[in-house]
Amino acid sequence: MKKIAILSLLFLCLTQFSCKDDFLVTTDPTRIGADLFYKNETQFLQALSGVYGQMQTITNSAYIFKEFTSDNTSLDFNPLDRGGAAGWEAFEFSSVNQGNGEIANLWNQYYSALYNANYTLEKLAGSTLDATIKGPIEGQLKFLRAYFYFDLVQYFGDVVLVTSTLDKPDKAFDLIRSPQADVWAQVEKDLKEAVTLLPATYPASQTGRITKGAALALLGKSQLTQKKYAEALATLKQITGYSLNPLYADNFNPAKKNGPESIFEVQYQGGNDLGEWSSFAYTFAPRLSADAVTGFANTTPGGRNIPTNDMIAAYESGDLRKDVSLKTSYTLKGAVVPIPYVIKYTHTHTLTGRTDDNWVVLRYADVLLMMAEAINEQTGPTSEAFGYVNQVRKRAGLKDLAGLDKATFKTAIMQERRVELAFENHRWFDLRRTRTPAELASFMNAYGLKEKAKPSVDRGGIAFNAQDYIFSDYEYFFPIPAPQILINTKLTQNAGY
Amino acid sequence: MRKFSKFVAFGFVVSWCPTLAQSADDDLRHGIAFAGKHPISVYGGKSALMSAVSPADITITGRVMDDKGVTLPGVSVVIKGSTQGTTTDSDGSFKLVVPNASTVLVFSFVGYVKQDIPVGNKTSLIVSLTPDDQILNEVVVVGYGSQRKQDITSAVSVINMRDIGEQPANNPNQILQGRAPGVVVKQLSGTPGGAFQVRVRGIGSLGAGSDPLYVVDGFVVGTSIGQNLNANDIESITVLKDAASTAIYGARGSNGVVLINTKQAVNGKVNINLSLDYGVQSIPKTRRVTMLNGPEFAQFKKEIFMDQIRILQNREPKEDEVPIGYRFPEQTKYSTDWFDLITRNNAPYSDVNLTISSGTGPIKALFSAGYYKEQGTLKETSYDRFSVRSNLGGQVNKFINVGLNINGSYTRQNVATTDGRSNLVGGALLMDPRATPYDADGNLIPYINGVDGVFGFPNPLFMLKNLPRKRNISDLLTNAFVEVSFLQNFKFRSSANVKLNQNVYNEFRPSTIGNAVAPGTSGAPPRPATATDINENLINYSLDQLLTYKPRLGANHSFDVLAGYTAQQEQVRGLRGDGNTFPDDLVPFLGAASIRSSNSYEFGWSLLAFLSRVNYSYKDKYLFSATYRREGSSRFGAKNKYGDFPAASIGWRVTEEPFMPKTAWLSDLKLRASWGVTGNNDIGNYPSLAFVGANNYILGNSFAPGKVVNSFANSELKWEKSNQLDIGMDLALFNSKLVFNVEYYKKITNDMLLPVSIPSVSGFTTSLDNIGKVENQGFELGAEYRTNFGQVNFRTNANISFNRNKILAIKGANDALYSGNFYGGYNVQKVGRPVGMIYGYNKLGIFNTQAEIDAAPKQDGAIPGAMKFEDTNGDGVISYDTQDMVEIGNPNPAFTWAWTFAADYKRFDVNVMFLGAQDFDIYRNIEASTMNMDGVFNVLDKAKDRWRSAQNPGTNPSNVNSQGGTSYFKWSRESSNRYVYDGSYVWLKTITIGYNLPKFKSILSNARIFVTGNNLFMFTKYPGNNPDAGVRGGTQLNNDDESYPIPRTFATGLKLNF
Repeated sequence: MKKIAILSLLFLCLTQFSCKDDFLVTTDPTRIGADLFYKNETQFLQALSGVYGQMQTITNSAYIFKEFTSDNTSLDFNPLDRGGAAGWEAFEFSSVNQGNGEIANLWNQYYSALYNANYTLEKLAGSTLDATIKGPIEGQLKFLRAYFYFDLVQYFGDVVLVTSTLDKPDKAFDLIRSPQADVWAQVEKDLKEAVTLLPATYPASQTGRITKGAALALLGKSQLTQKKYAEALATLKQITGYSLNPLYADNFNPAKKNGPESIFEVQYQGGNDLGEWSSFAYTFAPRLSADAVTGFANTTPGGRNIPTNDMIAAYESGDLRKDVSLKTSYTLKGAVVPIPYVIKYTHTHTLTGRTDDNWVVLRYADVLLMMAEAINEQTGPTSEAFGYVNQVRKRAGLKDLAGLDKATFKTAIMQERRVELAFENHRWFDLRRTRTPAELASFMNAYGLKEKAKPSVDRGGIAFNAQDYIFSDYEYFFPIPAPQILINTKLTQNAGY
Repeated sequence: MRKFSKFVAFGFVVSWCPTLAQSADDDLRHGIAFAGKHPISVYGGKSALMSAVSPADITITGRVMDDKGVTLPGVSVVIKGSTQGTTTDSDGSFKLVVPNASTVLVFSFVGYVKQDIPVGNKTSLIVSLTPDDQILNEVVVVGYGSQRKQDITSAVSVINMRDIGEQPANNPNQILQGRAPGVVVKQLSGTPGGAFQVRVRGIGSLGAGSDPLYVVDGFVVGTSIGQNLNANDIESITVLKDAASTAIYGARGSNGVVLINTKQAVNGKVNINLSLDYGVQSIPKTRRVTMLNGPEFAQFKKEIFMDQIRILQNREPKEDEVPIGYRFPEQTKYSTDWFDLITRNNAPYSDVNLTISSGTGPIKALFSAGYYKEQGTLKETSYDRFSVRSNLGGQVNKFINVGLNINGSYTRQNVATTDGRSNLVGGALLMDPRATPYDADGNLIPYINGVDGVFGFPNPLFMLKNLPRKRNISDLLTNAFVEVSFLQNFKFRSSANVKLNQNVYNEFRPSTIGNAVAPGTSGAPPRPATATDINENLINYSLDQLLTYKPRLGANHSFDVLAGYTAQQEQVRGLRGDGNTFPDDLVPFLGAASIRSSNSYEFGWSLLAFLSRVNYSYKDKYLFSATYRREGSSRFGAKNKYGDFPAASIGWRVTEEPFMPKTAWLSDLKLRASWGVTGNNDIGNYPSLAFVGANNYILGNSFAPGKVVNSFANSELKWEKSNQLDIGMDLALFNSKLVFNVEYYKKITNDMLLPVSIPSVSGFTTSLDNIGKVENQGFELGAEYRTNFGQVNFRTNANISFNRNKILAIKGANDALYSGNFYGGYNVQKVGRPVGMIYGYNKLGIFNTQAEIDAAPKQDGAIPGAMKFEDTNGDGVISYDTQDMVEIGNPNPAFTWAWTFAADYKRFDVNVMFLGAQDFDIYRNIEASTMNMDGVFNVLDKAKDRWRSAQNPGTNPSNVNSQGGTSYFKWSRESSNRYVYDGSYVWLKTITIGYNLPKFKSILSNARIFVTGNNLFMFTKYPGNNPDAGVRGGTQLNNDDESYPIPRTFATGLKLNF
């Protein structure tokens, strides 16, 4: 009897942990499994917001690749930090190489965003959501995908074209670069579909979403960049419902976000703990300006995107836009420090480091200038074309343009774009669009000579490198990041690097 | 709890027989053999006879033999209670004058049981000593059980505390250091209460962890025991090294298993043991780096300023061009050694332990309480620990045996961020020596502004005093078992183990702490004050059911079977709060912060396993053992939840064979071979799952929650498995005086879990995959020799380990994994090469002139004084990326070794240990800053010998570690062999001298005092404090960016037994 009792006790002990399957199934309670997500409208909207969020990441460093590289801005040279700064300074000095860390980040950021756009699009296609819900979500995602490739193809030329996600990581090793034409075709395809899927406007609670107008503007820009001038003009002309802000400064005023001129802006919000603030004011303030620019001490401003002498000189006298865009000095402890800086994104804010400024990606002034460009490239200047440019000039307090020939009008449009859209991440692509690689090289080298002769900022006695500001034709494209080629030898490098 | 049956077989033989003695001379001449395996000792004393003997001196002659009748030379013969005595000569004979018949002679010889023999009325003795075969019969704790040492057929190292002597070991890992071949223990940093790094047979995994599994009293606690276990409570440690011994731990056995067994009450005794240790620690002067002092640094600044004009402008500078701050170095006002400022000499530590054990009655009990306190060699850092233990156990009735161990500890650690150049230790080296830490009133200046281009740093002493970082850990480790014997040969054991751990961390960084490595005043305080509070609770429990069957099958067969089932679960829950921007520094709590954020988290894992083992031996001669474990883990993909881990081993005790002649010199020879499969699941908790994470946005000027996918899902992830072969030999010679232990092993880790770099066009830069394959093979030799010279007993122990690893596959044939960075050194994992090779440019020399630069492959931006690198790909350009980089150093030692010798003479004993590692490289990353010629940091004394010009190139510019003098950053701190040093060292680790006090009546049964020194002297060419240091984890080996220095310790202690 006793034995039986013991044995049954043993049996109990042995079976107290029967192989319950769920004992071995654990999931991270702090996160949502991807397989459990993408089920309903709310979740798709969140996934879409996630990709919008990646636009913030991309925009936060876009000035390096779109302004720094150009003749618009330089950097507040730090003679004491000659090690860590080399990666981003290389863009100013036209000495970007394939080992550049910023290039590696750039590539990774875009493909990470593309993954989420593609993944959400795939899940959306397989979902049973109503078409009226699906359509706008799909349209926004396609716009975003097109935007990413629009940038990539101009940064790198041929890029890897991924429009679906991989089921196994190994397959990424088989992906190679597609010709630029294919990438452009994908950009246009996505944007044309977006145009049909997107609404012209959203209710106020949804302000900031991509509209039909945004898709048309980016499509027009894509066509213009491909020199499809007639198509570009036709596309751009379909953009309706927008008008110039009466005041140029309103475009950047956080109190007047997403105004009548705004076509697409990356949304930020300061003044709280939500983590969605911008901090361009801090990135662009001179290094040693302490609180003179940002209004908050105890921060270390970045000293990036410092307007060059050339840029400052580009403003015609009386141009109202100059004082809205930049300042040529700041005052610290009563002393005037003559270092220029961008102020478009510098506004009063309540918490250190957390500004409320949006970043305008597309606005109506850009569309007007693009239309003028599209007309001029086809037929030379027309009164319609002058009219578009003069709308923009009028607001800036400048005289109308008239009586120019095709070449001088082209120069005038470019000049207008430069000052109207100064520090808004247009300059590099504008320069590329209107020049061959050889022309771009001679243009950039001329700028470099000016900078070397009279640097826009003090260099603390440190001489230029021999390679600084030497721009070669091949630098029309950025190098493919070395780490990507290192792990996948099928990926080719751009010529020259 | 492991019942640790101690030294059995105390058989001894004393022959003292008048008849034999009378004919001894005759018989011995003919070489009589003394027969009988267990002869009966005969005490032939008759008190009448003894008393009849005159009190005059008696001359005793005799001969000492072993149990096989072979004479033993060198046996110590001492009159008990005195120091008089002799030793036996070459044929085992001795002659000694004793005072009277009541004299007792003590015969002792290494490897034999010590014998006391009364002289009585005899003048001639024949003494037979029995080998002390406790070494062979000793019971060794193995996975889920124990085995006689002689029956073990796998690679197992046993460390008994009684062999170690008294050494200040505040941490169980320290005990392992140098004690077991194949086990490499490194102290990466000297942080009080910091854990050591332990590697058993090399690095087995590139992706998962390489830490061994720790098992305390049968409880599998994980890959770290932290600092919560009091080393004083440890009885023995067994390290399981090969697959045959570790496979029973399945998916966690790949990196070796460390079994720790705590002390239990000894049968029949009541014991009170009190130990007190007190010591002081200092950073050895010889292991400090020397920086420039104030005037020297000003001189240096002046020189590089002038040299730069000479090099770049090709003219002779005028003195008045030199900035006034360092134009007149001799006028430098202050000279501060910042490192010295933050160090504490003779930092005290003390360790008090009280152990009470009672071995009477059915339940035996041991209680211990300890308090350990250590002040760090960096000021304000400290660590202390309270610990209590209660081990209970016993036979409650004929069938039931129970045990309960409870260990609680509470530790308090005051830590600082010390490691790395921008933290305290590195920062203190780099700071401007021309500044003073104190103001005119003698108060510490919070921040040292950067002047003359030197970077600003917070005053490190101010920071230590004003930036509290506290870590408090409460830990409770309990395990209990019931063992029931039934049906004669069966035993069932059910045990429950629970670990509770609470880890609390808080820090407050007041507004007065500035930023390190900041130009000018940009890092100066006030800065927003911040606070962090973290509270983490861990619960880990496991339930083991073990059934053993051990039938009696007659004399020739020995057989036992074990089957078991185990389930374990761990869960961690944490809460973290951060505060930012405090209105003032008065209330260092989160509630006072203007900006607050909080986060809570939870993670965990579970496993289920069936395990089994069969041991069989035939005539103690042919030994066989097999184990099998099937284990399921929550960490793996749905398709691969379970893994199988079989292992088998065989042994042959050659000396038991009848054909082997029974010789005196060959005591035991065992040949062994084992093979098995083990796993590694140390890869984080949820690797196979993809999650969506937050990435929010703003829409309609309101918060719009957003989600993005964080990682690739890989439901096919499975165990990392190792196949390991081990061939071993145990050889005991000369009556076990000399014992050899030789092992050869080869371990191949398959399906290695690696974060593989994947093309980021996939959306991700890395993905975890089962793709790698690494081979570790090696050879281990351990030797121990015991003997005596007269009354000096001598023991020496040496071990040497050779491990060679090679990566067999990563991803395709050409693939390699790079980690590190351009200015801080890379480690590369490449197929066909050892793990963690150091990677960078190959330095050819220093450019002397522009002409040399022009003649060399293009090195953009090089100026005279820059390092000249090799164009390894031959494209004519040294590209400013990794293209021209090659392997420049091997971080894996050719061999590691340890040598201990111990001796005792009368009441004195001494124990000395040397450790060493030979032929390995270290990337001395910190020198990219401490030899930075920009003038932004203070530099090493060695900088005086830098290259300054073609005419003044330093004493040895062709030395690979020589420094170029250019103040221009390019081509001076890129990853290159300029920063690679040979780390080979010989370390006199410890010397301990002890003295056993005479007994004090019946109260004090045993008392000992000792003095000891730890980390005494290091012989190395390595210029850093510690060749074991490394600031990066995993396979990023040997990157020294200056860590908390390793102190030298002197201690004294007292141990009392009542």
